[in-house]
Amino acid sequence: MIVQVKMLANYREVLPPGTKHGTVELDVPEGTTVYDVISRFSIPLNDESVIVLNGLMTDMNAPLQAGDTVTAFSAIAGG
Amino acid sequence: MYGWHLKLLRVNLTTKKITTEEIDPKIAHDYLGGRGLAIHYLYKEVDPMVDPLAPENKLIFATGPLTATPAPTGNRYMVVTKSPLTGALAHSNSGGEFPTWMKRTGFDLFIFEGKSPEPVYLFVNEDQIELRNAAHLWGKEVPETTDILKGETSLEARVACIGPAGENLALMASIMNDKHRAAARSGVGAVMGSKNLKAVVAMGNKNPKLHNSAKMVSLSVQTSKNVGVDVKKGSNMRIYGTSYVPQVTNTLGILPTRNFQQGTFEHVSNIDGDALKNQYLIRHTPCYRCPLSCGRLTEVPDGKYKGKGEGPEYETISSLGTGCGVSDLAALVKANYLCNEYGMDTIGAGMTIAAAMELYEKGYINDDIVGQSLKFGDHDAVIAMLKKMAYNEGFGKDLAQGSYRLCEKYGHPEIAVTTRKQEFPGYDPRGSQGMGLLYATSNKGASHMEGDVAYEEVFGVPVKENPLTTEGKPELVKHFEDSFALMDSSGVCVFVGIRYMFNKDRMILPQILSEMLQLSTGADYTPEEALKAAERVYNLERMFILKAGSTVDTLPPRMLNEPLPDGPAKGKVVELDKMLPEFYALRGWDENGWPTKEKLKELGLPN
Repeated sequence: MIVQVKMLANYREVLPPGTKHGTVELDVPEGTTVYDVISRFSIPLNDESVIVLNGLMTDMNAPLQAGDTVTAFSAIAGG
Repeated sequence: MYGWHLKLLRVNLTTKKITTEEIDPKIAHDYLGGRGLAIHYLYKEVDPMVDPLAPENKLIFATGPLTATPAPTGNRYMVVTKSPLTGALAHSNSGGEFPTWMKRTGFDLFIFEGKSPEPVYLFVNEDQIELRNAAHLWGKEVPETTDILKGETSLEARVACIGPAGENLALMASIMNDKHRAAARSGVGAVMGSKNLKAVVAMGNKNPKLHNSAKMVSLSVQTSKNVGVDVKKGSNMRIYGTSYVPQVTNTLGILPTRNFQQGTFEHVSNIDGDALKNQYLIRHTPCYRCPLSCGRLTEVPDGKYKGKGEGPEYETISSLGTGCGVSDLAALVKANYLCNEYGMDTIGAGMTIAAAMELYEKGYINDDIVGQSLKFGDHDAVIAMLKKMAYNEGFGKDLAQGSYRLCEKYGHPEIAVTTRKQEFPGYDPRGSQGMGLLYATSNKGASHMEGDVAYEEVFGVPVKENPLTTEGKPELVKHFEDSFALMDSSGVCVFVGIRYMFNKDRMILPQILSEMLQLSTGADYTPEEALKAAERVYNLERMFILKAGSTVDTLPPRMLNEPLPDGPAKGKVVELDKMLPEFYALRGWDENGWPTKEKLKELGLPN
C-alpha cells in the first residue's frame, strides 16, 4: 500500500535531493507502523521531534492504512 | 539596590512637569518589574472605568530586573495602559535595543500622564530629561521619524515612536521601536497618540548594578549554550525565524484561513518559510543579547512591492496572509513593511481586513461602502485598506475601529473573531483547545502572548500535548499564564525564557530564571516565590479588567458553534464549558470569575 511521509522545515534536509514539497511516497506492506516508516529517516526519535499521523497525535506503534500521511517536525517554541 | 534602579520617571504631559520618584523595594520585590510593576502603578493610579483615550489614562513603559543585564534575551520592555480596543488591559511586549537603552537611562519605568496641548517627544539621557516639540515629526511614518530623531539627538540613542496610525487613534496602532520592533497589540499606539506624545528617545550608560555580576555572567553564558535545539546551527529558528510555523499549523489544521472559515490554506507553500528564505531573506537580525535571532531582514528588490524591512513573522503570515486568503508573498511582505511604517499591529490590522472581506463576500457591505471590491485573496486590496486604516480615510475609518466594532456596525458581530474585542492570533482554538481557554480568559483579550500553550499543543515544547482534548488544559493554561507573567515582569523574551524553565523531567519551573533574579537583584527568590509573584501580577490585572467592566470570559460564536470544516480538527468546536469552571477553581476565583477574598489575601492584594 502507498503511504506518504512528509518532513517540515529543517527536517526536509534528510530527504533525497529534489524531493518536492518535503513529501515522499512509500510502498509498504500491510501492518507497517508509524515507527517502521519514520525510523527510515535520520531524525531524532525522542522529545526533539513531533510526529503526527494525518495531523493527529499518534502512537508510534499505530498501524498505517493506505493513503495515510506521517508528518515530522522539530519540536521548537515560537510563533 | 541591584537589578532594579528603583527609580521611575513621571512625565505629566499636561503641565510639562517631570519628576523622579523612588520605587519601594518591597513593591519591586513583590511585583518583580516590567509588566508586574506597571500593573501595580496602573491599578493604584488609574480608575479602571476611565476613557482609555482621555488624559486621565496613563501610559507606562516598564523594564524588568533582567533588562540590560547579561541574561540572554534580557532586552524586553512592556507597555501597559488601559486599552482603547478592549476596554480592559493592554500589556504589549517588545525587544530590539530600545528597552535596554531605556533601562540605561537610570530609570526602571516611565509613566506618562495627562495630554500635551501640542505634539511632543521625550528625550532622556540620564539626568538630561526634556520634553521637546514634535510638530516637525507629526504625520511622519516610523522610519523617517526614527531617522530624524537620531539625527537631532544622537546616533547612540534609541527611539520608540508612533506612526500615522497612532496619531489618528486607530485601535490597532502599535508603538514601534528601533523601526521594526513593535509593542503591537491592544491599541497602545492610540493611547500614545491621544497624549500627543510622538516618541521617546533614550540613551545612557547606567547599567543596573548586579548583586553577583560574576555568577550572573557565567550562568548567562551557560544558559545561552544550554537553551537547546532552538539555537543550534540548522535549527528552524536559525534558518526561518517563526516563518516555518505555517507548515506546522497547516498540518494540524489550525492555520487561520479566510477569517477562520477554514483551518488549512491550499497555497501555504507560496508564503511559508522556505519561500521567504529562497526569495527575499537577506539575513537574520537578533534583538540585543539574543542567542536565538528570530528576526528577519528581508527585501523585495523590484516590482510594485519593492521595499526593505523586517518580517514577516508567523503571526503576520497568518493574519495578512492566510487570514485574508493572500498567497502572493511579495505583496504580503510589503503589507508587513507598511504596518511597521504606519505603526500598526499586523494581527489586528490583518484580521480586521479579513473580517471585512467576509462581510463583503456575504453581501453585508458593498463597493459603495468600501470604495472598491474586497474579496479574499485580493492582495492589492489588503495594501489599499492598510493605508486607509492608518490614515483614517473613507472606509478606513470603520477598519480603524477593529473587527468587532466594524462587524457590529454592519449588523453582523458574529463574523468578528475576537475576545474582549481583540482579534485572535494564528492558532484556531477549535483544533487547540487549551488556546481556546487562554483566549477566553486572557486579561488582554485574545492573545498567544499571555500563556502560549501552543508550545505544548502545537510545537511539542517541552512535551507534546494532544491539542484536541480538554483534560488537564485548565491547569496547563494557568501554569503558562503565570510563567509568561513571570517572564514579562523579569524582562526576558518568552522564546528563550521558556527554555530557562525546563527541568530534567521536562516540567516548566523557573529554576534558572529565579536564580537569575537572585543574582541580579540580591532578593532571595525561590522558584515558588517567583511564580507566586507572577500569580499576584496576574490576579491584580484580573481585578483591573473586572473593575473596568470586562467580566465575561467567552469566545465568539464561530468557535463555540461552527465546527471546523476541514483538516485534522474537522468537526471540532471549542469545548469551553468543560474547561472554564475547573480553571476558575484552580485560580481561586468564584463561579463568576472574580478572585475570592481568600485568594486576594493569600497574594497580599487589596480587596
